[in-house]
Amino acid sequence: MASGISRLAAIAAAGAMALAAATAVAEDSVKVGVVGPMTGPLAVMGKQWRQGIEAYMAAHGDTVNGHKIEVIYRDTTANPSMARQLTQDLVVRDGVQALIGYGISPSAAAAAPVINQAKIPAFLPHAASPGLMAASPYFARMGQNIATNAEVAADWALKKGVKTAYIAVADYAPGHDVAKAFQPAFEAGGGKVVGQDNIPLSTVDFSPFAERIATADPDMVQMFIPPGAQAVSMVKALAARGVMADTLVIGQGEAEDSDIHLFDGTIDNFHTVIYYSQSLDNPENKTFLDSLKATAGADVLPSSFTLGAYDAMGLIYALVADMKGDRIDGPAAMEALAGHSWNSPRGKVTLDMQTREPIQDFVVRQVQQTDAGLRNVVIDTIPQVTPKPTTN
Amino acid sequence: MGDSLSSLSFILLYGTSYGLILFIIAIGLVITMGLMRVMNLAHGAFAAIGGYLAVGLMAEAGLSFVPAVLLAVIAVVLLSVVLERLVFSSLYGANELDQVLMTIGVNFIVIGLITIVFGPNVYPVQLPEALRGSVDLGIRDFEIYRLFVIAVGLVVVLGLWMLFDRTSFGAKLRAAVDNPSMTGVIGINVSGIFVVAFGLGSGLAALGGAIGAAMLPLEPYYPMKYLVLVLVVVALSGFGNMKASLAVAVLVGIADTAGRFLVPDFGGFVIYIVLVVLMVVRPQGLFARRTG
Repeated sequence: MASGISRLAAIAAAGAMALAAATAVAEDSVKVGVVGPMTGPLAVMGKQWRQGIEAYMAAHGDTVNGHKIEVIYRDTTANPSMARQLTQDLVVRDGVQALIGYGISPSAAAAAPVINQAKIPAFLPHAASPGLMAASPYFARMGQNIATNAEVAADWALKKGVKTAYIAVADYAPGHDVAKAFQPAFEAGGGKVVGQDNIPLSTVDFSPFAERIATADPDMVQMFIPPGAQAVSMVKALAARGVMADTLVIGQGEAEDSDIHLFDGTIDNFHTVIYYSQSLDNPENKTFLDSLKATAGADVLPSSFTLGAYDAMGLIYALVADMKGDRIDGPAAMEALAGHSWNSPRGKVTLDMQTREPIQDFVVRQVQQTDAGLRNVVIDTIPQVTPKPTTN
Repeated sequence: MGDSLSSLSFILLYGTSYGLILFIIAIGLVITMGLMRVMNLAHGAFAAIGGYLAVGLMAEAGLSFVPAVLLAVIAVVLLSVVLERLVFSSLYGANELDQVLMTIGVNFIVIGLITIVFGPNVYPVQLPEALRGSVDLGIRDFEIYRLFVIAVGLVVVLGLWMLFDRTSFGAKLRAAVDNPSMTGVIGINVSGIFVVAFGLGSGLAALGGAIGAAMLPLEPYYPMKYLVLVLVVVALSGFGNMKASLAVAVLVGIADTAGRFLVPDFGGFVIYIVLVVLMVVRPQGLFARRTG
């Protein structure tokens, strides 16, 4: 079976190279494939990537070094097997030279063998599984390693005098990753984890978990619940039980500014540890926000998804600008990306030499009432955090 | 785990309010399946449309909560009657596979339409001021919203009981459930009863979707997401048995809440264990009436 698959991939890759050689002569456009959920339950990811990509292209033009940049979108509906097949199509038929996307880590992992054979840089604006980077030397993470936030959250909370924590995570791999990273970091600093719930993804009514947390009465809650309906229900349940008001609740991507209105006010005082806030004051962020407003509409708010795709486009533009021949040379590109630093709307980012994870500032945000309504407000910054190499 | 009275009151109160929402949404399917033997997997779509319309009327047209919910329910009743005549009536007597494929297809169309009109994200619901906050019940604080849900649930139960047991329509309906062809033979307009019952069931689903929106968030996949819970209630209720479905829905609500509260690691499975055990012990439904 395995050999069958790798043989297929080899054939695909050989086809890709033959085709690439043919197309390279024919035209001098550089095609970028975007593979991810454009419809289905995670459609918001694909939508925000597109906004980020279009914002970047509007701000920086669509031609680099004489090469026209062409973006091709493919919809996986968040299905990993489709991610693999669509990647293969993009490589073989369309001759793409760089990839952006995948969204969820299993999709990225499924596409990795094709990417490895084709030797094409793949930028991951969202996939956050700690072990994922081992799947391909052509992956470059644009977002975060999910374990890093949890460790930063634990350290920050301990410094604020928090003694006890309750871990409430969704019962699937990313949730377990958060719990696995948070607990040792928190206990190493002298904290005590007083309870942990792995909340089933099928949960409709979250009040039982809110009740358990309220009964345990911890100083803080480290939570990880998929954004969307589940995060909304969980936060509403916590608020109804009074936990949001009197406990430090730290999450990750549950409450981007673009989603805050979903929570009907219950999100007030919610904390997140993440790498971006639209309130950051730097020229790159201003360009990003202005271009996003111009392309996507004045009332569109950025999220970390939008930013991840925006930064990925920036790196692709840099690779095209440095291109020696008519194609991006994958291995040389990855060598150039390792250790590469750039000024992102989130601040200075450096891709780690070994792991290709971003070394970047993390911010602690608190949802507060502002003139524009409830918004994430940066209350602390942890500068230039290097993600720990993953052991698993 | 704290004091046991507080835990018990939590499980009963939250489980009951959750169960009653399930009851309001599922009862329509229990009736129409009993009556028409149609496996209408698109039933949840009516709840979704009701919820979206009610919340949309509040957010976009500035209506207050009660008129928005009433208008949404009326709109869904009208829509469902039209759909019953155009689409569902052609399924009476069709085999189960055709019914399942057709109604699942309707679900996907509704999911697509919701995504186009309201976007792929959760549709935020703003509860009226009067339903926010908690009250002290003596044993514990309890959300006013959930008390309201329990109250509406009880009104629906009472209304349905009056309708079924105390009116001639109810008597005809029960007769049609038990034996549609015999009922037709004695001159009762069975297909007329079908239409009314279908509209009633869909309207109740819309009511459940609308007032339950703060508990079961509105999202495009709503018609699929809550289908399993609704089908659990239907499967355990038996054909057209309203009393059983009330008991079953509250039992499912309480079992699910208790499971997640007491054994969170296995909490997701508790209702399925209840389902399997009851299906083995009482395959005809929890309080199956003896027939024949």
